[in-house]
Amino acid sequence: MRDKGRFARLFLPLGAYLVVTLVPFYWMLVFAFRPTGSTALVPWPATLDHFRTVWTDLGFAVFFRNSAIVALGTLVVVCVLGLMGGYALARFAFRGRRAFLLALLCSQFVPGAMVLIPLFLVFKATHLLNSLQGLVIADSAAQLPLAVILMSGFVRGIPVDLEEAAMVDGCGRLRAFFAVVLPQLRPALVAVGSFAFIGSWNNFLFALMFSGRQDKFTLPVGLSYTLGEFTVDFGALAAGGMVAAVPVVLVFAVIQRFLVQGLTAGAVKG
Amino acid sequence: MSRATTIAVILACVLGLAGCGGGDADGKVTITFWDNNGGPGRTPVFQHLIAEFERAEPDIHVEYVGIPSSSVQQKYDTAIAGGATPDVGGVTTSYLSDLVGQDALAPLDDRLAGSPLRDKLLPSLVDDVRQAGGDHKLYELPSSANLDVIWYRKDWFAQAGLQPPSTWDELLADAARLTDRSANRYGYTVRGGAGSVFQLLSEAYSYSGQPSFFGADGTSTTAAPGNVDLVRRVAALYGKATPAADVNNGYTQMVAEFTGGSVAMMHHNLGSSGDLLKALGPDKVGAIPLPVGPSGKRTVVPNPTDGFAVFKAGEHQDAAWKFVQFLLSKDSNSYWNQQVGQIPANTDVYADAWLRADQPVEMALGVLRAKDTVLATAPFALPRFSPITKADSEPRYQKVLLGTLSANDFLHGLADELTAAERDWRSHKG
Repeated sequence: MRDKGRFARLFLPLGAYLVVTLVPFYWMLVFAFRPTGSTALVPWPATLDHFRTVWTDLGFAVFFRNSAIVALGTLVVVCVLGLMGGYALARFAFRGRRAFLLALLCSQFVPGAMVLIPLFLVFKATHLLNSLQGLVIADSAAQLPLAVILMSGFVRGIPVDLEEAAMVDGCGRLRAFFAVVLPQLRPALVAVGSFAFIGSWNNFLFALMFSGRQDKFTLPVGLSYTLGEFTVDFGALAAGGMVAAVPVVLVFAVIQRFLVQGLTAGAVKG
Repeated sequence: MSRATTIAVILACVLGLAGCGGGDADGKVTITFWDNNGGPGRTPVFQHLIAEFERAEPDIHVEYVGIPSSSVQQKYDTAIAGGATPDVGGVTTSYLSDLVGQDALAPLDDRLAGSPLRDKLLPSLVDDVRQAGGDHKLYELPSSANLDVIWYRKDWFAQAGLQPPSTWDELLADAARLTDRSANRYGYTVRGGAGSVFQLLSEAYSYSGQPSFFGADGTSTTAAPGNVDLVRRVAALYGKATPAADVNNGYTQMVAEFTGGSVAMMHHNLGSSGDLLKALGPDKVGAIPLPVGPSGKRTVVPNPTDGFAVFKAGEHQDAAWKFVQFLLSKDSNSYWNQQVGQIPANTDVYADAWLRADQPVEMALGVLRAKDTVLATAPFALPRFSPITKADSEPRYQKVLLGTLSANDFLHGLADELTAAERDWRSHKG
């Protein structure tokens, strides 16, 4: 009886939720592997034609490389600068700190499209259009405010006494930071880094607008090729979706334990 | 310090790797071409044509950039504001006036007058492009015409012993007869979501035979009695001879329903030809013109005309013009339109064998060139036309389909907005 009650209360709703969540992924799998024109509900007989189309004809090989470079670059920049900014906000009292925090928060309310033309002009003047460095900088600028806010919360959660104890033992501030604070910030870095990576991986607007060269586009731009003005290639769309989604899913699968730790730490102690 | 150094090295490596790439410094003139509808159907075709062009003009290198069609207008607008436009761009008449209004395009009248293409482009398309620019200059050379058609399942019609419809009465009756809801088969699909109202208007004008969108005094003809009648009759089909999900249909959903084998007839344009034929094959799919209404007049609302424009800010306008001329030459225009299934703009192509073998394109060309066909060109140059017929009207048409707004009220509201916008625009133009 107890098992039946548990099944009805826990597993039945969870199962229903999972079905609803996973149906779009199954749809993607079916369309990616079944031949064009097939109406089968299972991806069999399977074909790799759609993957060949997106990888070779549509240039996903290049887009994938670009996305990986831009997302990893953004991750590194955001983690390093986010760590520095977050530490400064958490540990130092300086004039304008609250106003600075408020400004960071407000920057999150500005849609990307509003800063598009000013950023475009800045990038043009600094010769950063049509380059992946430009995209790393644009994506980092978009991700950094949230990263700094989150990181300052995480740093504030680490007792300052620990750093002071290290300094009493002869460490400078920098050594105390690396020896005492940084190891405890590993979950926070995973959380901030994964947000930055995924935000950059999925960014369509900057990738399209700041690149005027086919070989500098990223995966979201490549995906939108499959939805034409009058035509839609569902097979290529699904195959491209899988190519774009699988790395993110794998990253999440590997880091999800740290991610939960990081978010919980920030929420409770911040 | 060593960790800080490590991080700095990683950062430098990533940014350094990001900078990989280079430009050609071989002395050639390089022009940039933006394809306004990049994707698996068109990109390989352009790449083939560019290779041919570069063989013919070895001193010119064309850099192809495919832009997703859904974002192309924003991409152009950003590039114009930032002063980084391409040399040549694919454009359509639906946003031509927007580009002309920003003074981004070079007029091509003089260049065309001195070109071998001078008398080769279909006059109705050239007129259409001139109208769409807003000041009757030629800012775009048309490459293709794209007409709305009714795609139908030949096999279903044969099984039911029916002939493809030639009038709206026949189409509506056939839609009811071909519906078998227990087998999840419907006679027709209605477009109720994105892009619904422009498509609905082309149906309404084909039914009513109204020859233009506005009267001489700027009054919209949208709410003409024939148009109201057609909208009422199509809305009455919804849910009975169409899937209930149609209220949210964009063209992707319609195409999915048609290729998935759940509808017998679909109103779309020649652009979906490749997808439909690839999925179902020419034995199962046919195309007919939009039927005529009680007046018997053949009135057609053409789709936006696709073509090429030369950007004013480009440094190599002569090279850009050479490329445009090449794309519109007989061989290129023939190859292009054969691959994408649209009507060629270069009239020399009309003798080509492929065109006679391509039933949808040949049929549509016949409609376009028939003497009794009236072209009711949509007012794409009217700045408010697109917002009024999309954001303002599409949700209201959904109410008509769901029975909470009458066809009469819907079309009169739409007509009032279009009339006000047209008169306002005329007063600004003087």
